[in-house]
Amino acid sequence: MTGKWQLKDHEAERQIFNRRLIIAGVFIVLLFAALILKLVNLQFSQYEYFSARSDGNRLHSQYVAPARGLIFDRNGALLADNQPIFNLSVIREQVGDLDEMLNNLRTLIGLSDDEIEQFSIRLRRNRVPFSSVPIRFVLSEEDRSAIAVNGHRLPGLAIEPQFVRSYPLSALTAHSVGYVSEINREELDQMDETERQNYGGTNHIGKSGVERTYEGLLHGKVGYEIVEKNNRGQVMRELDRTDPVAGKNITLHIDAQLQIAAEQALGDFRGAIVAIEPATGGILAMVSKPGFDPNLFVTGISTKDYKLLVEDRINTPLFDRTTNPYPPGSTVKPFLGLSGLELGLVDYDYAIQDPGYFRLPGVAYRWGDYTLRTAIGGGHGHTNLQKAIYQSCDTFFYDLGNRMGIDAMHEYMSLFGFGQNFAVDIGYARTGVMPSRDWKQESRGEPWYPGDTINSSIGQGFMWATPLQLATAVAIIANKGVVVQPRLLRAVEDEPFVPEIRDPVPDIVLKDQDYWRYMEEAMTMVVHRPYSDTFRDYGTAYEAIAQADRTMPYRMAGKSGSAQVVGISQSILKSGDIVVSDLNKDHGLFISFAPAMHSEIAPQIAIAVIVENGEHGSSVAGPVAKRIIDEYLLNILQIDFATHPSNPNSLISQVND
Amino acid sequence: MINQDFIRQSSGLNSGKITSSTIWRSVHTDPQLLVGISLLCAFGLLILWSASDSNEAEVQRQSLAMLVGLVVMFIVAQFNVHFVRSWAPTLYAGGIGLLGLVLFMGVEKNGARSWLDLPGLPSFQPSELMKFVVPMLLAWYLAGRPLPPRFKHILVAAIMILLPAALIIVQNDAGTALMVTMSGVFVVLLAGISWRLVIGGTVALLLASPAWFLFLAQEHQKNRILTFFNPYRDPTGAGYNIIQSQIAIGSGGIYGKGFENGAQSQLDFIPESNTDFILAVLAEEFGFLGVLFLICLYLCVFARAGYIAYTANDMFSRLLAGSITLTFFLYVFVNMAMVTGLLPVVGLPLPLISRGGTSIVTMFIGFGMLMSIATHGRQK
Repeated sequence: MTGKWQLKDHEAERQIFNRRLIIAGVFIVLLFAALILKLVNLQFSQYEYFSARSDGNRLHSQYVAPARGLIFDRNGALLADNQPIFNLSVIREQVGDLDEMLNNLRTLIGLSDDEIEQFSIRLRRNRVPFSSVPIRFVLSEEDRSAIAVNGHRLPGLAIEPQFVRSYPLSALTAHSVGYVSEINREELDQMDETERQNYGGTNHIGKSGVERTYEGLLHGKVGYEIVEKNNRGQVMRELDRTDPVAGKNITLHIDAQLQIAAEQALGDFRGAIVAIEPATGGILAMVSKPGFDPNLFVTGISTKDYKLLVEDRINTPLFDRTTNPYPPGSTVKPFLGLSGLELGLVDYDYAIQDPGYFRLPGVAYRWGDYTLRTAIGGGHGHTNLQKAIYQSCDTFFYDLGNRMGIDAMHEYMSLFGFGQNFAVDIGYARTGVMPSRDWKQESRGEPWYPGDTINSSIGQGFMWATPLQLATAVAIIANKGVVVQPRLLRAVEDEPFVPEIRDPVPDIVLKDQDYWRYMEEAMTMVVHRPYSDTFRDYGTAYEAIAQADRTMPYRMAGKSGSAQVVGISQSILKSGDIVVSDLNKDHGLFISFAPAMHSEIAPQIAIAVIVENGEHGSSVAGPVAKRIIDEYLLNILQIDFATHPSNPNSLISQVND
Repeated sequence: MINQDFIRQSSGLNSGKITSSTIWRSVHTDPQLLVGISLLCAFGLLILWSASDSNEAEVQRQSLAMLVGLVVMFIVAQFNVHFVRSWAPTLYAGGIGLLGLVLFMGVEKNGARSWLDLPGLPSFQPSELMKFVVPMLLAWYLAGRPLPPRFKHILVAAIMILLPAALIIVQNDAGTALMVTMSGVFVVLLAGISWRLVIGGTVALLLASPAWFLFLAQEHQKNRILTFFNPYRDPTGAGYNIIQSQIAIGSGGIYGKGFENGAQSQLDFIPESNTDFILAVLAEEFGFLGVLFLICLYLCVFARAGYIAYTANDMFSRLLAGSITLTFFLYVFVNMAMVTGLLPVVGLPLPLISRGGTSIVTMFIGFGMLMSIATHGRQK
């Protein structure tokens, strides 16, 4: 051992160690120098860059959604409201055992498998960490308290308030007021950059009806706030804020009470009703039945519910019957009659001898009058224009239409809005078809045949018109030629709405203003001309309207029609849910305005009613129209016809001559 | 007379009879080192206060760990290094035994199965102790042989290092294994191993590293390396820590955003902001100057520790003190380099600053040994 010690040179070893230690010190200094260089690089050279990154991390500009404008009816009743709802959301990162929590919720608030599946889909989507994922929209009061009480056992659950659209009249306004629903990709793509920003904080957009037409007014202007968020996305501070501008509240011409009455008047039938105020063109009621619950669409309709709506091919609840065309049938006769008078093709004295059918010269085919199909057969005998209206004599109009020709018919019927959309703010309404030579050539590639004119003169064949068009046209007669373009919007905030109409539709000025009175009288006789000894000389709707209610304090002008059901799809015919013969029945139509032939009170309401498979216009659609007019004149306007009696030179006495 | 008296007095100072330095020495405490450590601890608590979002409990617990550390340091300093030296082989054998025990009875914490829960003792990591035991054994072994060490002695030393390192690797704690290895390597380096071997070894390691990366490295280790070269390959995953840390440091600028004003740290963008990444908090709130100040504090402590090693009386003390100093430095440097993006992410705390009792107490054991060397050695 001692030998080894002797080998050691302590001083030399110390020298070695100290040299090494000094070298280590040099390394330490060099390495720290490298570190300092790195710090200089980060904190001096890249300071600006990292400062910006740091701000980008914590500062978030977020949108503040504007409150959507409310929609009122003409009396201030809410048609579309914003309701606070409470959504139940899950913050995945804060949940321990997700399956256990879902099971808890199953018993606690009856969470369904469907909801869990929807939630899983939402959860799987790309999302920001610590963001909340909705698991149930619209929590009920009980559910909310159940969650609140058990909250401590359920970390990661959050109840989040949100304002959503609600439609108090539900299905009643589903088509007219329409609904909002989640904005889709396509709609976003159609927006420009500023518009897209304006929708930054909003999930919903108007999808149909007024909600869609007046989206620009209702939406408002988005606000912004700059907030500081932490790593978990929680807002720590608000640093700057630009308040949103709420959307405008709008008032419609629609009268909720009348809307309800109209829907009820249809009873169990499917159908459509459009009622217009002739003085303003304001749409008082617009009902398509059956409707659907628009509230379902607001928070996202379930696939099952949507399927139910889409697959109901008999009731087609999603189909807006007020703005889609039907064959107008005999309801076109007053307009054709006025055109005939204006063209000088008929006058007050002109009459035909109606054998019950019409034949074109040199053609064997007989166009039959409906009377041909009755047990008695025969025709209407001596028939002038008024009788042709109140008896709805087809033969008279075959003759008139034939002499008028399709070109003049197209020209004059267009003045009443057939084949056109006169509506100011119902852009989505279909125009129907007012056929012409050009139209047929273009759409069918065929020339116009004289027989086509004959069909058109009783509103069949190629002619299609929407209930909205029929109501508009009959309002023009009520106005004695003054065209008022139908509209839904009445006022924005409290400013009356004055639409900018680029191409105003000209009023119809006839050679003799008395033609209007003459036609009004004829239409009044449709409802009020009673049975008499004369064969087939009563109003077609007399029995169902005036006779059924002898105390009726006002007169209404009307015209019935029936439209043949064109075709029923095989799938419906096969379905066992409905008696197929019912679906084969004609659609019943009725157009009307009231009060008619009143010396003091101008017509207050013009209305078109279509009752699907109602078979007869006069007996089914007519009473529906009357119930609505009763509601409007007697209950809503509360016109006292006792103090404002009708013209003493009464119609009944006239027609009784 | 007066002059003579003064000389006598001053010579008395030097011979150490009633001076303050003799008092310090008698309690085996090195005042300069103590001041440096205390400043570091105080600064560390300040940063932790901000990093933990003014969490009093955290800071109190950390302070307590520091107090415990001080006491441990004081106790360790009382033991003469030569006493320690004679026990080195026994301690090493015991340490290896404990590491072996961990293999069978180890408890897993934070991914590493390196903890031992023995009845009657607080749970601890035997691997932590090896950071001192390994250099102790090597210092004992090499100091007893002529220096520079012969090749066969170096081989023996390598085995002494690699045996515990391998046991720790098996525990899935590569970071500690690396530090244990380095604490031993430092002894060998300081003992005067020939430069040819040092360079040869370094080159061999560099050449072997691709093979390690391809065949031996675990997935998370590969990820860390890849992330080091390009943090943005997975900015929200593996790269998140380093990206957020660099944002914090860079946005701190020269003067920093102010105490408790660091957006990155206060809004929790910096992960592990109380522990491994606490430097980012400092750099953000106190800026470049703050980091520079911390580096200076560390340098003072290294300098004093180096001085203790330099002036130590015997080779065992020198090697041990040198290794402790360099291991301490390595901790500081690796942590700072990883937080700034100079090195891949390795889970090492910043000594005396990062939260964590075990790390603190371990550091103080090292300081205790340094103080023992500083005071016992010179008494002789």
